[in-house]
Amino acid sequence: MSARPSVSPDALARAVARATDTIAPCWPLARFVAVNPFLGVTDRPFHEAARTLARAAGARLTLPRSFYAAELSAGRIADRHLAAALAEAPRSDGVPTDVEALRRLAAAGDDQATLPLTPTVADLAADLTGHDWARAVTERLSAWAGSYFDEGQAGWANPWRALTPYAAWRAEAMVDRTPELLGAAGCREVFAGLPATAEALTARAVARLGLTASQLEPYFHRLLMQVGGWAAYARHRGWERALRGESDDTVAELLAIRLAWEVALLELFGERGVARAWAVERARLGAPRAAPAAEAALAADLLLQAAYEKARQEELLGLLAARPSIPAAPGRPAVQAAFCIDVRSEVFRRALEGVAPEVETIGFAGFFGFPIELVPLGEGAGGAQCPALVAPRAVIAEEVPGAAEAGIGRRLRLEAKAVWKRFKTGAVSCFSFVGPLGLFFAPKLVTDALGLTRPVPHPGSAGMGRGWQARRRPVLSPGTVGERAAGLPLEAQVDLAEGALRGMGLVTRTARLVLLAGHGAQTVNNPHAAGLHCGACGGHSGEGNARVAAAVLNDPRIRAALGERGISLPADTVFVPALHATTTDDVTLFDLDLVPATHREEVARLQERLAAASSRARAWRAPRLGLDAGAPVDAAIRARSRDWSEVRPEWGLAGCAAFIAAPRHHTAGVDLGGRAFLHSYDHREDPDGRVLELILTAPTVVGSWISLQYYASAVAPAVFGSGNKTLHNVVGAVGVLEGNGGDLRVGLPWQSVHDGERLAHEPVRLSVIVAAPCAAVNGVIARHEHLRHLLDHGWMHLYAMDDQGVVTHRYTGGLTWRAVVAGAAAERAA
Amino acid sequence: MPIPTPALALLPLLAPLAWLGVAAAARRTPGLRPRLLLRLADAAGLLTLAIAALAGVAAWRTGPLTGPLLGAGGVGISVRLDALSAVMFGVVAFIGAVVVRYSRRYLDGDAGQGRFVGGLALTLAAVMLLVLAGNLWQFGAAWIATSLALHRLLLFYPERPGAVRAARKKFLVARVGDVALVGALVLLARGFGTADLGALLTRAGDALAAGTLPAGTGAAALLLAVSAALKAAQFPTYGWLLEVMETPTPVSALLHAGILNGGPFLIARFAPVVSGAPAAMAVTIAVGGLTAAIASVAMTTQPSAKVALAYSSAAHMGFSLLLCGLGAYPLAVLHLVAHSFYKAHAFLAAGSAVENARGTPRRTPAAPPSTPLLLLAFLTAAGAVAGVARALGEGPWRQPVPFGLALVLAIGLTQLVGAGYATRPALPVLGRTLFGAAGTALAFFALERGATHVLQAAAPVRYVAGPAALALMAAVVALFAAVVWAQLRLAAASPSPRWAAAHVHLRNGLYANALFDRLVGHPRPPRAVPLALETTR
Repeated sequence: MSARPSVSPDALARAVARATDTIAPCWPLARFVAVNPFLGVTDRPFHEAARTLARAAGARLTLPRSFYAAELSAGRIADRHLAAALAEAPRSDGVPTDVEALRRLAAAGDDQATLPLTPTVADLAADLTGHDWARAVTERLSAWAGSYFDEGQAGWANPWRALTPYAAWRAEAMVDRTPELLGAAGCREVFAGLPATAEALTARAVARLGLTASQLEPYFHRLLMQVGGWAAYARHRGWERALRGESDDTVAELLAIRLAWEVALLELFGERGVARAWAVERARLGAPRAAPAAEAALAADLLLQAAYEKARQEELLGLLAARPSIPAAPGRPAVQAAFCIDVRSEVFRRALEGVAPEVETIGFAGFFGFPIELVPLGEGAGGAQCPALVAPRAVIAEEVPGAAEAGIGRRLRLEAKAVWKRFKTGAVSCFSFVGPLGLFFAPKLVTDALGLTRPVPHPGSAGMGRGWQARRRPVLSPGTVGERAAGLPLEAQVDLAEGALRGMGLVTRTARLVLLAGHGAQTVNNPHAAGLHCGACGGHSGEGNARVAAAVLNDPRIRAALGERGISLPADTVFVPALHATTTDDVTLFDLDLVPATHREEVARLQERLAAASSRARAWRAPRLGLDAGAPVDAAIRARSRDWSEVRPEWGLAGCAAFIAAPRHHTAGVDLGGRAFLHSYDHREDPDGRVLELILTAPTVVGSWISLQYYASAVAPAVFGSGNKTLHNVVGAVGVLEGNGGDLRVGLPWQSVHDGERLAHEPVRLSVIVAAPCAAVNGVIARHEHLRHLLDHGWMHLYAMDDQGVVTHRYTGGLTWRAVVAGAAAERAA
Repeated sequence: MPIPTPALALLPLLAPLAWLGVAAAARRTPGLRPRLLLRLADAAGLLTLAIAALAGVAAWRTGPLTGPLLGAGGVGISVRLDALSAVMFGVVAFIGAVVVRYSRRYLDGDAGQGRFVGGLALTLAAVMLLVLAGNLWQFGAAWIATSLALHRLLLFYPERPGAVRAARKKFLVARVGDVALVGALVLLARGFGTADLGALLTRAGDALAAGTLPAGTGAAALLLAVSAALKAAQFPTYGWLLEVMETPTPVSALLHAGILNGGPFLIARFAPVVSGAPAAMAVTIAVGGLTAAIASVAMTTQPSAKVALAYSSAAHMGFSLLLCGLGAYPLAVLHLVAHSFYKAHAFLAAGSAVENARGTPRRTPAAPPSTPLLLLAFLTAAGAVAGVARALGEGPWRQPVPFGLALVLAIGLTQLVGAGYATRPALPVLGRTLFGAAGTALAFFALERGATHVLQAAAPVRYVAGPAALALMAAVVALFAAVVWAQLRLAAASPSPRWAAAHVHLRNGLYANALFDRLVGHPRPPRAVPLALETTR
């Protein structure tokens, strides 16, 4: 390999860092939480990111024209929305400048002009050899990655897992005969001749490919997007390490592997025209050829999307403007019930307020401010039950009071289960299992098909008798789990309690009974189950966080310490933890044995109200689930949660469109259709703006991530969605393949955003409405770069609401605001 | 009141007829949410289950019988009802009902749900006509029809290049298998002078006992063995099976639980013919035993749920063919049936892979069990097998084949007991594993006895006895023992370069699929998104 270095080591390192930062992380399935798939490109305006992603991945960030045409003809987009969108967009060549032209364009159908993809050697080799090397490289790389990153599916694990990714890949590539059998004769020799480290390989590859510094970033980005799923998973490893203060270059290693393939294909097929074609193509890497038709098509698509969002925002503001005026209830409420800000809570809160006027509901992130790692009974480690932006503050173990043997008992049962599983799935031993015992799967097929049994035991309760399961409880007092310290020191408990109470606004007028309702979904046989759980609890059920929070807040020692910090909870206030089951809308209360006798009656009454609210919420949700009006809704919805063949057990957060941080009485009584995140916030109780800062930088950002994940999965399912659920093939317990191979798929399944007839998620960028003075909001935006990027670059919209609950201003970027005309009804273009 | 025999033997035909009805109805509502069709298909599933149950009772009460031929000139449809066909019919009806019910919600919202259910129904009708076939021509036609109906299901998403490639590979293999089968059937019809299955089996059985099998039987048996191996995705032709996950899960469940079975079923169906052909038996032992070992090891290296299940199916079909080759037909059929239920469940529950992996976290034991400990584990397992056999009055050690099979059981259980010994703290875990081992052995012998009793007329035991066959069996048993030994020792061993390389080769299925790919080509599909190169030309 003759090559002269053409890029300085520093420039190369910078280009690698920039390209790897462009990839958004994706979490493994067991703790699947929403991530903004555009995370790496929010530092540029939306329209620019659309161009970047078109060239790097062929992704399109808007729906087909036919969608907008249909909305236009149905009147769901009106001329005023088109005009407003036109007024805000910069003029560019070939793009309509008036409403009529824009209408005509939408009606004319899809524009075929798309931006050309950034070229790679693999693409050229595919074109020139007649063998699809681009696909084959993705295939081989994915096959290797599935084995290397496997978190527990293969019984005989990859032998090189302890090496770095590139070293492990190279060791395997020198052995694997597949590429040669597919026609790349000499491939193993080429790989054997490559440098031993990723860094050295990257430098060598850049020289061999004849690239200059300015060409690197788009090229690297394209290479990573060709294995975009695994790149996203690799990025997640770096993310988790960064939370622990460590560094990680898994994505750079993956890039090196992909570059090694480029070099190999150039070596092996250079003489078949690939070298010549590459010399032509790479010249365009730094400065892509102008594609005016495609640019114009993209700009027009963005205009239509902007108009579509204007129309949806007008609807939202209209709903809020027309709300019944419900004054803030004076005095101390009988019951307060805190739910997660999740859009599914909106439906349930509305139902509960309807059947129980004495209950005041609160919206707060569903981990209730307690970021913990909850270790299930008898296990050695658990999942991080907190938002992806933070690291757990404490390890909390479980115990069964009065049954000290429970932990070790469960551990032994799990051990025995593991041994049995190795017998059942082992080579040769599987014959001794299936022959005699396979017949027992006949009755299991029947009971599973009828929803009477679960296909596999729930991992959280496997190896646990019903008794232990019902009696287990998180342990707060200091102890150990394995070799790690567990439990929450008192001082930390007080800190977290204070944060939670201030965040929830439970500083004054706290009720006698406060329900802390986390949420979780009940689905079976669903690889993406964690995605339906609480995102604020790291893709887990929120039960554990709610129970820890209630235990801390009920502790008299904590109350005393809180008093010293200026929060005096009434002595008769009792916190009760609960779980809102989002699939069935049932609410279960926990730790009722700890409720004092004085409150038992009120708790019983609350349970009745909750049951009534559950029925009401289910009835409201039934039409969207496609249930017949006459059918017994309660039974049908519960059956869905146990059906192993159900691909849409619930709609999750599909439809999410707004985030409202305001006192509840500003939104109470409005049917927001399960589309709004509701965060309780009263700026009059937050004079120094600390709560506002927290809301805008944490839950709001997470809300925008969720909305953008749904957005991307709806508009670009091939790149940012995980495809068809009926083809899903779980790999390495980390993600899914669609079918038997290809890249790892990230994002949401098509079934989660589309019902077969229409999109269940109408893709819009999140509209955030904050009941706070614009100046206070500006202060926060100015201090936080990521938030500023999201707002100023068009990744979400922001409105301000006044003390009467009227939306008065719209944020227009650069810390400027524009008054919303006529209160709220319709914001017309100036 | 006794039902007249001909009517009894016509009854099962209602089942394929019902599925054909569903398939016809599906042509009217091929698309989204065909509510009526789904209800009809569910009803057909229950109806066929009931018919299969009745047929089973009938076969048990009356013994083997063949119904009248609906056709002319010896060509047409007739039903062979005996223990073998009744069992297979029951399995297919059961799997069919479960899979069709599963598709009701699973395919909800798919633009081709009606077409999908119709495809399942057509395939089920073909498989049922195959297992119930009363004459050779029907057998051959249903065999081919099954494969063609399945082909349509494999291409349910014709826009997926992977689906097209996999279906093409499957198509090639199936056509070769068809030629072999038709050749075998023609030879058999000529050799025995009848195309009626019942008459043929009786004549073959008599001729086998008298040692007067007609010329051409050996060739026919070899062709049957080839066709069975191709149907059951045996090494080195299993490439297609590893790739057909490009179509919805219920198709995989049906294929793996109801159609691959065709291979071992073919051998068991023509047992008297194959048993009279040592070469065919030897081929079946060798191909089945080798595939069982290779595919089951390859299975353990797979990180993806469905590909692992595909290797597992190839392995279990291999094991079942091995049992056929040894003449242990009842055990082979038992294994087939058990595998059907197991694998249908495994595929339909494939979405639980994450929970499965979480529920039993992978831990590497501190140290691999030492060789003496492994020996102790084997002796414990063998002791459990021998003890249970003795308690049940079985004497597997008196003949070589049953002895070999009991040994295979003990080798498999060594994996269980060995892992139990290697776990610390061991006692409660070990207690559970020993209990599990004894229970498994008990189930094995009890079910073997049951299967032998049920199938005594339709597919009786005919153990091979020739030295070549027994030497092959010994080699396979030794191979199995080596695999289990390596598996237990390797659990924690640091990888030597040789083992690491073996991991790669086996994970790639010893490259049988890559070679196959080369054969059928890997053309570049038309690009959906343009590359700069194209816009400049």
